[in-house]
Amino acid sequence: MVRRYVRQKYGAPGFLVALGILALIETFTFANGGGRGGFVIAPWAIFLLAAGSVSRDVSSGALQMILSRPIRRTEYLFGRYLGILVSYGLFLAVTSALIFLVVHLTTGSAAEDASPLRLVLLAGDAFATGAFQAAILLMFSTFLPGIADLLGLLVLFLVLHLPPWNKTWLRNAADAARENLLPQVSWNEALRGEGILGAATGRWVFALTVYLVLAAVIFSRRELPYGQD
Amino acid sequence: MIAVSGVSKTFGRFGARRVQALDGVSLEVRRGETLGLIGPNGAGKTTLLSCLLGFLRPDRGAITVDGKPPDDLSVRARTGYLPERLGFDRDLPGKAFLAFHWRLAGGARSRAKAEVEAAADRVGLERPALARPLRGYSRGMLQRIGLAQALLRDPELLFLDEPASGTDPRGVALVRERILEAKARGATIVLNSHQLTEVEKVCDRVVFIDSGRLTKSETLRGDSATRRRGLVRVSAAGLAAAASVLSREGFDPNADANGSLRFPVGSDDDMARAVRALALAEIPVYEAKVSAELEELFSERAAP
Repeated sequence: MVRRYVRQKYGAPGFLVALGILALIETFTFANGGGRGGFVIAPWAIFLLAAGSVSRDVSSGALQMILSRPIRRTEYLFGRYLGILVSYGLFLAVTSALIFLVVHLTTGSAAEDASPLRLVLLAGDAFATGAFQAAILLMFSTFLPGIADLLGLLVLFLVLHLPPWNKTWLRNAADAARENLLPQVSWNEALRGEGILGAATGRWVFALTVYLVLAAVIFSRRELPYGQD
Repeated sequence: MIAVSGVSKTFGRFGARRVQALDGVSLEVRRGETLGLIGPNGAGKTTLLSCLLGFLRPDRGAITVDGKPPDDLSVRARTGYLPERLGFDRDLPGKAFLAFHWRLAGGARSRAKAEVEAAADRVGLERPALARPLRGYSRGMLQRIGLAQALLRDPELLFLDEPASGTDPRGVALVRERILEAKARGATIVLNSHQLTEVEKVCDRVVFIDSGRLTKSETLRGDSATRRRGLVRVSAAGLAAAASVLSREGFDPNADANGSLRFPVGSDDDMARAVRALALAEIPVYEAKVSAELEELFSERAAP
């Protein structure tokens, strides 16, 4: 299932071109001094890689064929999720390698900003953030058609960032929801020891688990009509 | 083997969007039986097939396969399914598609290549075509590779939705041969098709579904056959004489404009008696066959 997802994405010329463009823009942004605090363009690749991950299989009928085989729905779902992560990891690895090569070829020396360790940390930061966004997209994709999961993610983000409430208890509840469902974790800092890893991972893992469990529950209950009479 | 008991399914909740797709459908499919689902478009056949496969959950009633729910993994391990339109990754080569389903069906990785090639051979797909992405396949080729995947690992249960749709006459014959092969090895088959002549050639029984209700069940084979029509074609000049001869033999012939006479027959012996009577009356017979005449059944049932 994982291999199929990676093949789906990297086997499609359109996707490959789009990912290539993102990697090149990130590389040149980085080489020109932009994005020193982290990758700026590359994280957008997660939306390309994860949008419609389940809904496209539903609408094409591929899912129905797969689920006529002895495979659990959760196996399929988490296979898709792992597929997204592997695809995204590959993309970040290639982008990091490209940045390393371009920066070192153009500056002709071992630039500190583009040292292998720093690039690994930046890629790790982008990966962890992307893994979280992918879980939300996967959850929405189990019941929204096409790439409406992107819209779902946007709505969730807007709802959790509504202007401060007048009532204190409402404001507190909204803050708690935002901090726990959309935790802002600076993985780059945490991985370098500049942030508190324990608190960061705790909230991140909690929220990620919530979205993945929700995805599994919704998907297990979903009906799959495969055509019309 | 498959038991469907009082199954109802409604789509939409309110007003005009509410559609009763199935309404109290009950039927049984015996082990080794080939059942045809026939009925007009929108009758509920696909919905029933979706319920049989466990993709849809009935609002009322129950479906079991050997006493288990249809989405039980042990049932699915024995199931082959061909949808009407093959929906899959268009960039995937044919052999990768078959290998993927071989593995999903529980086949050993080491045998995948050989089994994929054997499956492709069975449906007449050339090796070079297997290396091409599915996006380059014609409709007929997609149906063939879809059938090949459904037949992987010789499933005991086969659900086929319009298997010969979009195929040329050779493809239609090939689909028929594969179904008959599966039937010969004892597979239980549920076939949804509008190609009534093909349904008649392979099915033991047909059920007619209309407006979500099972309105008729006809047995096509064996001593318990409930629908058997004799058909003889003679010259236009001999039509009246032939009708008279058959009437004298106790048949109830109806003539049509093509010079054919149709009449109910109880058995193959009846048909032989009818042909013998025509031969003794020296009336040339151009064609003689026993048929279930499903088209006629379809017209009767589908008429408003």
